[in-house]
Amino acid sequence: MWHYIWRRILQMIPTVFGVIVITFILFYWVGGSPAALTLGKNASPKTMEEFDEQRGFNKPLLLGRWSGTRAFPDTDFRRNAGSWRKALAITHVPPADRAPGHIVLPAGTNGAVPLLFGLRPQTTYEWRLTYRLDRGSATLRVGEHALTLPASPQWKEATLRMTSGSETKPPATLLRSDAAPLQLRSMTLRRQNAHALDSQFVFYLRQIARLDFGTSNFTNQRVSQMLKDGLGPSLSLTIPIFVVELIVAVSIALLCAFFRDTWLDRSIVVVTVILMSVNYLVWIIAGQYVLGHRLGWFPLWGFESWIYLLLPVTIGVVSGLGENVRFYRTIMLDEMYRDYVRTAFAKGVGSGGVLFKHVLKNAMIPILTSVIIAIPFLYTGSLLLEGFFGIPGLGNMSINAINYSDVDVVRAVVLIGAVLYVIANLFTDLCYAWVDPRVRLS
Amino acid sequence: MNDAPDRPHSLWTDAWRQLKGQPVALLSMAIVAIYTLMAAYGESVFWYYQWKDVTPSYQEIKVGQEYLEPSFLRQPFAPLAQASDLHTWGKSWVQTFRNLASHPLGTDNLGRDVLERLVQGSRIAFQVGIITSCIAIPIGVLLGCLAGYFGGKTDDVIVWLYSTFASIPGLLFILAISMVVGKGLLGVYLGIGLTTWVGLCRLIRGEVMKHKTRPYVLAARVLGASHARIMFRHILPNVFHVVIITFSLRFPAAISTEVFMSFLGIGVQGEPSWGIMISNARLRLWQGVWWEMTFVTIVIFAVVLAFNLLGDALRDALDPRLRTSER
Repeated sequence: MWHYIWRRILQMIPTVFGVIVITFILFYWVGGSPAALTLGKNASPKTMEEFDEQRGFNKPLLLGRWSGTRAFPDTDFRRNAGSWRKALAITHVPPADRAPGHIVLPAGTNGAVPLLFGLRPQTTYEWRLTYRLDRGSATLRVGEHALTLPASPQWKEATLRMTSGSETKPPATLLRSDAAPLQLRSMTLRRQNAHALDSQFVFYLRQIARLDFGTSNFTNQRVSQMLKDGLGPSLSLTIPIFVVELIVAVSIALLCAFFRDTWLDRSIVVVTVILMSVNYLVWIIAGQYVLGHRLGWFPLWGFESWIYLLLPVTIGVVSGLGENVRFYRTIMLDEMYRDYVRTAFAKGVGSGGVLFKHVLKNAMIPILTSVIIAIPFLYTGSLLLEGFFGIPGLGNMSINAINYSDVDVVRAVVLIGAVLYVIANLFTDLCYAWVDPRVRLS
Repeated sequence: MNDAPDRPHSLWTDAWRQLKGQPVALLSMAIVAIYTLMAAYGESVFWYYQWKDVTPSYQEIKVGQEYLEPSFLRQPFAPLAQASDLHTWGKSWVQTFRNLASHPLGTDNLGRDVLERLVQGSRIAFQVGIITSCIAIPIGVLLGCLAGYFGGKTDDVIVWLYSTFASIPGLLFILAISMVVGKGLLGVYLGIGLTTWVGLCRLIRGEVMKHKTRPYVLAARVLGASHARIMFRHILPNVFHVVIITFSLRFPAAISTEVFMSFLGIGVQGEPSWGIMISNARLRLWQGVWWEMTFVTIVIFAVVLAFNLLGDALRDALDPRLRTSER
C-alpha cells in the first residue's frame, strides 16, 4: 500500500507542474504585460517600468540574459519612427514600395537619442544598432562611454556595451557623424540580468513556492489575505448546498432504483432532463424574484445571519438536482443488475434489504469518488449565487477580478483550484486502492 | 433477395431505424432543425444590415414603442368585436392579423422587438456552438487517436496534457482565457473551444485502444497501410459515433456557457445575445416587465432540452454499451 501511495504522489508532480506551466503561458505569455492594463493608458513609462520591476515582468520569459527596457522602447525603423518622431535633427524615411524605411541623421549635427528616463544604476547595458555610412566615421556617445562607427556602405551591426553610472537622470546620449549622413535601420537597448535563469518563469515559480500570490490591482490587498477572507462565506454557502444536494439526490436515486421501470421512475427521469435544461441564470433570477420578492419568504440580499443563506442554498440545490439525480440513478441501476443482487433476491432478501444493505453499500464507492472529486469545487464558491445575493465569497471575488482584469487574483484562484483538484484525485485513487486490492497491485 | 433477413446493415441505418421509432427523438430533431433555420435566418438578416450599412432594426432605439406587451395581450381582437357588417368584418380580420404580427413578443426598454432579438440570439448561440466544436473536436479527436494508437511516450504526454487541463476548474479556466484574450466573441470561442476537448479526447483514446488490436486493423497493417491511414481511414470511422454523441451533448453546454459569459458582460459585445437579454430583462422584471425574461427563458430551455434529449437518444442508438434506458 505504501508503495502505491508513493507512486501515486510521484505521478501528481507532473500534473501540478503542468498546471503551473499552463497558468504561466496563459497569464504571462499570452496575457502580456498587465502594466498598461492596470495603470491605464496615461501612465508614464517610468511608473510602468517600476510596476514591471516589482512583479518581475521586465525579465525574459523563460531563459536569457538580456531584457528590454521601457526607457528606450524597441522600434522597427523599417516601418515607422516610433519614439524618434520628435527627436531633433533626425528625419525618418518611410518605407517605399520595396525599400524598407530607416532614419537619417545629417552630417555635422548632433542627434539626441530619445531616452525616456534614467537607466538603472550600476547595471550593464548594451546598445545594438544597424547602420550605414558612406564616408568618414560616426560616434555614439552615452555619458562617458563612446563607440566609433567606421564607414560601411552596407548595412552593418555594432554594439556598445557599457555599465551605467550611479546617477538616476538619463545620460546624455548623442549620435554624431562628421562627413556623411548616418542611416539607421534599428537601434535597441538591452539590460543584462544577473544570470540566464533570472526569468519571469523562475520568478513565478519562486512566488508560488513562497505561497505569495501577489497583490490585487483593484483592491490593493494581498491576494492571500483576500482568499482567506473569502473562504468562510464561500464555504458557508457551498457546503450546505453540497450536503443537502447529496442527500436529496441519493434518496431520489434510491427511489428510482426501488421503483425501476415503473411510471414513477420514468417520470423522475423526464423531470431530471427538464430540470437540467433550465438555464442556471434563470433559476437564480426566478428564485430571487418569486421566492424573495413576490412571496417575500426570504431576505433578498446580504450576509448577516444564516437566514440569508436559505434562499441561495435552495436555489443551488434545485439547479443541480437534475444532473445529480441522473448521475446517482445511473450508478444505482448499474448495481441493480449485478449478480450479487440477483443472488440476494434469490435467497429471499426483501426489496428494501437489497436496496439498503447491498446496493447502497456497493454504490458507495462511485458516490464517494464523486463526492471527493467535488470538494475542490466547493472552495471556488458559487460564481453567480454570491454576486446575486451579496455574499462576500471567493466566487464573487473571482467574477469581479475577471471583470476588472485583475490578473493576480484570477491566477491564484485558478492555480489553487487546480492543485486542490489534483490532491482530491489522489485521495479518490487512494480510496479505491484501499477498498480494492487489485488496483494497488496492478 | 436483398430483403433476406440476415442482410447486414450498418450502425448508422440501424441507429436511424431506432430513432425513427422514438417520437421524443424525432420531436427534438425537429426543434433543433427549427432553431437551425432561425439561426440561418438571423445570420442573413445580420448580413443584410451589414451590406446596407444601417443600424439593424433590432438595435435601433424606437421612442414611443418602449415596453409594449406581447401582441396577444394588446387586445388584438378588438376590431372583430367592433365589426358590424360583413364588409367591415373582413377588414377587421386583416386588422387583427396586423395587430398580432406587430411585436408579437413585445418590446424591451428601448422599444426593440423581443422576437427579432431572440432570433439574433439564436444566431450567436449557434455560432458559438459550431465554432467551439470546430476548435474542440479536432483537438480531441487528433490527440485521442494519437494517444490511443501509438501508446507509450506519446500516450504519456497526451494523458499528462489532458489531465492537466482537466484539473483546472472549468468555468474559471474559460473565463480566464477570455479575460486574457479580451472581451468579445473571440474570447468566448477560444475559452470554450480550448478547454472542452478533454472529455472527447479521453473517450476517443479508449475506443482507439480497443480497436487497435482488432483483426481489420491488423489486416490493414499487413497490407502496408501507413499509420495515418490506419488511424483516420480505418479506425476513426468506427469510433466516429463518439464524436456525434459528444457534439450533440456539448452543443447545449456551449450555449449555456455563452449565455453565462454574455450575462457577465465578457461575452458578446454590442449585439443581442440571450445572455445580454437576460441581463437586461432581469432589471426590468422587478418593474413588472415579465415578457422579455419569460420568452428568453423558454427559447433557451427548448433548444437545450432538445439537444439533451437528442444526445441521449443518439447515445442509446449508436452506442449500445452506454445504453441505460432499456435495462
